[in-house]
Amino acid sequence: MQTTLIPNVPPGSLDLLAGDVTRRRRVQRTWFMLAEALGYQEVIPPTFEYEEVFTRSGGPELAARLIRFVDRDGRLVALRADFTSAIARMVATRLADHPGPLRLSYAGKVYRQAPEAVGLRREIFQLGAELIGDPSPEADVEALRLVVGVMRELGVGEFQINLGDIRFIRPLLHGLPPDQALALRTAIDRKDRAALAAGAREFGAPAAVARALVELPELIGRGGVLKRARSLASGSEAEDAIERLRQVDALLSDDERRHVVYDLGEIRGLGYYSGIQFEVFVAGVGRAVGYGGRYDGLLAQYGADRPAVGFALETDALADLLRGDES
Amino acid sequence: MSRPLRIALPKGRMMDEALLLFERMGAAIDPAARDTRRLILPSADGRFEFLPVKSGDVPVYVEAGVADAGVAGLDVLEEHGPDVLRPLDLGFGPCRLAVAGPADAAYPRLAGGGIPRVATKYVESARRYFAGRGVQVELVRISGSVELAPLLGLSDWIVDLVQTGRTLAENGLVVLDDISSSTARLIVNRASHKLRLDDHQRLIADLAKALEG
Repeated sequence: MQTTLIPNVPPGSLDLLAGDVTRRRRVQRTWFMLAEALGYQEVIPPTFEYEEVFTRSGGPELAARLIRFVDRDGRLVALRADFTSAIARMVATRLADHPGPLRLSYAGKVYRQAPEAVGLRREIFQLGAELIGDPSPEADVEALRLVVGVMRELGVGEFQINLGDIRFIRPLLHGLPPDQALALRTAIDRKDRAALAAGAREFGAPAAVARALVELPELIGRGGVLKRARSLASGSEAEDAIERLRQVDALLSDDERRHVVYDLGEIRGLGYYSGIQFEVFVAGVGRAVGYGGRYDGLLAQYGADRPAVGFALETDALADLLRGDES
Repeated sequence: MSRPLRIALPKGRMMDEALLLFERMGAAIDPAARDTRRLILPSADGRFEFLPVKSGDVPVYVEAGVADAGVAGLDVLEEHGPDVLRPLDLGFGPCRLAVAGPADAAYPRLAGGGIPRVATKYVESARRYFAGRGVQVELVRISGSVELAPLLGLSDWIVDLVQTGRTLAENGLVVLDDISSSTARLIVNRASHKLRLDDHQRLIADLAKALEG
């Protein structure tokens, strides 16, 4: 009998064996030990959901990267592309009556379309937590503290959390037609000062807004940056952003603050962030190993308006960092 | 001092221009390394290591973070779409991406209808341009001597970089349409920018000053 062998896996899919598995499991075990000790309960959202769960929440960037297929009844479903969106949907529908606050943790795969490039997989292991029902700066700090905690437990000593607040940038783009807002967002994202200055001029931005836009790429640093940002803040929303970051700063221990850099010019976050947002960097890794922030409006999209803050870390990147320990 | 910033440079004329700029800010290539076959060239002041690579590879090295920063033409960035910072227009290496064809070529529609064939190295940029204009084309990806394609009947038009237009003229081709103009940009790896902020801010400021001077 003749059989045809299946020679390979699709691009972006991977078999994990031996050390690649043990290191990922070690990261996950470390994470769940820490999360459980702090009162976080594990949840496992479904592997696929109706695509709206991700298209409505995550913005066009995430929508463009969904892996979709048609369900039996003709509706479009997508593989889980983001834990936070799935958990927000889960909490707003299944746990709507829970008095809160809710502390939830997870670890598993997300699936995203990726262009063929260096190290871009279509299945990515992530881990993370969501703290739902607490709008306070203490809750923001609890999320940051979990990140610091798991990095320490894993023995990653040198890492950096770049922390900003989307409410500082949002008013600068307020009221612009979509194409102009997109042009400025692109310039902010690329830290292109010349394009920001040109855009502000061309779109007739008020002087205070133009000044803040051009300064955005440079608004990075330790506590002193908050003072400079405060002097550039236009309007109460931006002032609230700086006030919240000051409160967070005051709640951090010296040892935690060592890892935090304030970064007001970053708009990388997924579309649903509404307050603080952050990215985590480790020396020698060419991209962020984690991201998080506050997403107060997200649960309302599923019918339960509750504040929330959370983060996701890239388990694959953390596992690769452990390779050094073993040799 | 921390390790030097590693800068990916596109081999060729653009690399010479970039090195002149670095020289103006006091970071010339270490004379001991010049004219050797070394693959990584340190600057004499120890601030940088230059990494000469093919122009299309610059965004790959920078996005992956093995180079902290690099110099790439806007045309290359638009074609590859790397996820990197683009803080500075360096102004040199001007060229334009254009549609070209034989002087008597029908454009933007073929006489008598039919789907035009377009040979190019810049498939993504060409696809975006024609799609944006509602023109359906068949794209043929080739990697060199694009000017030959219409002469041999491989394509009706080409999309290619034009600097002086001499190569086109020598092959009996003319520019039919301009797509975009391009100059060299400084690009920076996102994570490196966060982790070595002071070094990158100094690099950007020094380059901006050298451009003015």
